[in-house]
Amino acid sequence: MSFFWRRKQQELNEEIDAHLRMAAGDRLARGENPGRAAQLARRELGNATLIHETTRDQWGWRWLETFLQDARYALRMLRKSPGFTTVAVLTLALGIGANTGIFSIVEAVLLRPLPFHDPDRVVRILEAVKDLPYTSISGEDYFDWESQNRTLQGSSIATFTQNYNASGAGAPEAVAVVRTEANFFSVLGADPLLGRAFASGEDQVGKDHVAVLSYGFWRRHFAGSADALGKTVELNYQPYTVVGVMPRWFNYPESIDVWIPLDHTVQGTSARGNYSYMAIGRLKQGITIQQAQSDLSAIAAHQSQLYPDTNKDRNVSVIPLKTRITQGSRPQLLMLLGAVALVLLLACANVANLLLARAARREREMVLRATLGASRMRILRQLLTESVLLSLAGAGLGLVGASWCISFAQSTTWLPIPHTNPISLNMTVLAFTVGISVVVGVLFGLAPALEASRVNLAEALKESTRSVASSAGWRGKLRDVLVISEIAVSLGLLIGAGLLLRTFARMRSADIGVRPNNVLTIAIALPDTKYKTLPDRRAFYDRLLTRVQALPGIEDAALAQTLPLEEDHSWGGYPEGAPDWRASLVQLRVNFVTPDYFRVMGIPFRGGRNFSSQEIDRALDSVQQYAEFTKKHPSFQFGEHREFFCSAVLSYAAAQALWHNQDPIGKVFVSGNIPVQVVGVVGDVKEEDIRTGATPSAYFPMTQELDNSFYAERIVVKTKMVPDSAVSAIRASVQQLDNSLSLFSVRTMQQVVAENMEDTSLQTTLLSIFAALGLILAAVGTYGVMSYLVTQRTHEIGIRVALGAQPRHVLSLVMGHGVRLAGIGVTIGAALALSLTSLISSFLFGVAPTDPATFVAVTAFLLLVALLACYIPTRRAMRVDPMVALRYE
Amino acid sequence: MKQHYQNRIELLQGTLDLLILQTLQWGAQHGYGISQAIRSRSGDALQVDTGSLYPALHRLEHQKWIKADWKTSGNNQRVRVYQLTAAGKKQLLSERSRWQQISEAIAGILSPAKENET
Repeated sequence: MSFFWRRKQQELNEEIDAHLRMAAGDRLARGENPGRAAQLARRELGNATLIHETTRDQWGWRWLETFLQDARYALRMLRKSPGFTTVAVLTLALGIGANTGIFSIVEAVLLRPLPFHDPDRVVRILEAVKDLPYTSISGEDYFDWESQNRTLQGSSIATFTQNYNASGAGAPEAVAVVRTEANFFSVLGADPLLGRAFASGEDQVGKDHVAVLSYGFWRRHFAGSADALGKTVELNYQPYTVVGVMPRWFNYPESIDVWIPLDHTVQGTSARGNYSYMAIGRLKQGITIQQAQSDLSAIAAHQSQLYPDTNKDRNVSVIPLKTRITQGSRPQLLMLLGAVALVLLLACANVANLLLARAARREREMVLRATLGASRMRILRQLLTESVLLSLAGAGLGLVGASWCISFAQSTTWLPIPHTNPISLNMTVLAFTVGISVVVGVLFGLAPALEASRVNLAEALKESTRSVASSAGWRGKLRDVLVISEIAVSLGLLIGAGLLLRTFARMRSADIGVRPNNVLTIAIALPDTKYKTLPDRRAFYDRLLTRVQALPGIEDAALAQTLPLEEDHSWGGYPEGAPDWRASLVQLRVNFVTPDYFRVMGIPFRGGRNFSSQEIDRALDSVQQYAEFTKKHPSFQFGEHREFFCSAVLSYAAAQALWHNQDPIGKVFVSGNIPVQVVGVVGDVKEEDIRTGATPSAYFPMTQELDNSFYAERIVVKTKMVPDSAVSAIRASVQQLDNSLSLFSVRTMQQVVAENMEDTSLQTTLLSIFAALGLILAAVGTYGVMSYLVTQRTHEIGIRVALGAQPRHVLSLVMGHGVRLAGIGVTIGAALALSLTSLISSFLFGVAPTDPATFVAVTAFLLLVALLACYIPTRRAMRVDPMVALRYE
Repeated sequence: MKQHYQNRIELLQGTLDLLILQTLQWGAQHGYGISQAIRSRSGDALQVDTGSLYPALHRLEHQKWIKADWKTSGNNQRVRVYQLTAAGKKQLLSERSRWQQISEAIAGILSPAKENET
């Protein structure tokens, strides 16, 4: 390109030379004197350079030529002032790098389509109950939708993540398994990397011992060999033939190791009223979400009429799969993107400040250029080229930092965001980075460039030494505006971070109703293929608890089906004898525990007593016995034959919800048509989220739900020492009983609590980092402007001191200006923050978005920093020696 | 010198392209040749400014109405010779007819026609 270019320019030279020669030749031929002929010919030709330039303009790439010329010049200028260039590039690298990092997450999670065929047609199908639009589904409801809908090309039901023991070669491993209808992968629109997905019919009993492996599981267990197909994996003592391996990027549902078929019948799934499944669907071509929604709603309305006991007030929700996946992270990602954009804005303001100061030093250069005939547009373009180059350099450096952060984010799964699409530094992200750097380059460059190019030739040439007064005034005002906006924006960021920090602290210190210190939790799953009967299972757990309790360093040990703050299930319950049971129905979170659970977790009894051993024994088959009893006695009334009732311990909130201020002990509530007698009341526990209120809970003896084989049982132990140190001893105890069982999800209760705070922790960490960056930028910006101001006024201050001004006069003169700017900035910032913090109110806990304490503290802090930034240059001004100052110029 | 300038007729906007195309209609020619041809054909009344000639030539070339080749002249010097392309010939025709219309229109204004009275 450049060679072609040079040749073209040489040819133009040659062409014009030839013209000159021929003109001179003609003149000679007419008899003119040789010396004069050439001179006249040249004069007739006119300004050869101008001819060159206007001719080159015709080639159509003049802009590129100008740009390259400007770029070369700009590079030279930037190289000549390394201090300025380094500071500007680093500032921009911070801003652009942080934006690139956050945008790469936004791109992967919110912007990029799901990695499936025709992903816009994939939907999640859920049940809607009253004010909960997205809840799990029952198998029987699903089969109606599947067979009666007219808008879905296909749909597939699946379990949630279940824990299996992978036995066979090597140490036992806990494996995350999802059981699905055979068409799961085709409904989703994902093809296996190797082999095939489930064939239709493989979701029937007898044909269902086939498995599709995740890429990670395949690499771990088969070393990534294609021979894996046809081999066997043993899950819960059952052999499954490997038929396929999914590609590395496939991650739905998240973190699954193995997919196996789900018995595609009501027997294999669940009856109406039992909601423990999920479903996906694929819309027919050209069908909208709304059409599918009303189609399925019609079926649900019919179900409500046919099965009022279970389906009254139940509807169905159809929602794009992507919306469902990203629902939780969208608000926080957008908040972070907004915050990081503000940091970039601050970086821009700082660089604009630097450029303004530079513009003052380059005034002479601009005057010279204008004198030589450069138009204002031409100067503007050259200065903008410089600033865009600066920001591109910043982007380059920022990309290095961002790519480091991105590869870190890729390597972890702890980031509380959906990982259906991997985060990557792809073309979209690169385009974004280049795009914002150009925009940013123009943004911070435009005002200083406009300012610098406002050259008033007549004035400038007259004023030989001092800078042009009017121009300096304008520039000063621009600088003041920059300082004010920096302080305002930085205050906004700081207040946001302050509110989140307080939220974090509130959550940390929040009483969740349990004492998590020294509590260790371990999950274990007993396969029903080996532990077939309830007494088998009970015997195993009894032996396990006895062993664990006897271990040194263990204070107490108990079993529970779920842990506080984890996925749970709930049952509806209403007081016995309620006139309208539907009106008094209360959703109770249920847990199945051994009696010591309350002591291990530190949940206090507030009334009544713990389960008796009789109640625990009876719970083993009480549900069945009760069903048989009511069959024999159809006229049976609640209140009779209490020996058949189940027993439960309620949380205080549950007792209040059922019976208000009456004593609940001995009272009976009905859940799933089974009467349950309350034997005790315990303190409230925040079971769902630290940020929500206490959850009404019902605890049943663990013996009542022993047939649950797919969801793990939790061993919870209270230790006398550091909880982690007990793990190996407990593992040994488990494996002495059965060496094919594996322990998984080993966490201290404190970790469980911390996991519930992951979102807040991420938001708080990132926003605090951004706010700290913002504060540094604002402080540096304010400092820079104030020092510049002092330098500018050294002469004036010198005169004032010489005329007898006291240091405090100088102080008030310089500081006064800074204080005024900071005051205006803080006022605007506080107003801005008041209107903006409502945006983050959904992330807050225990602190109002307008929390006065945060506002006052943060504002005072920022003012202090701003004053300090003003004071340092002011001190320099106060030390001005009048003699030196007057000789200054 | 001043005298000389007064004798020159300023070229109307856009007419230079027409003159160049017309000149090349008579045969391939280099830049200097074109300016000389326009000058002699107009009886020295039209003098083409070199500062306009070369930009115009390169513009016409960019528009593919003329094309340029390097030829070696009699005394072994390279000159850039322009010639009309097919598209240039078409352009010349349309520019000529446009010029015709303009000059007729101007002539109509300058010599009050009798039709005006009817």
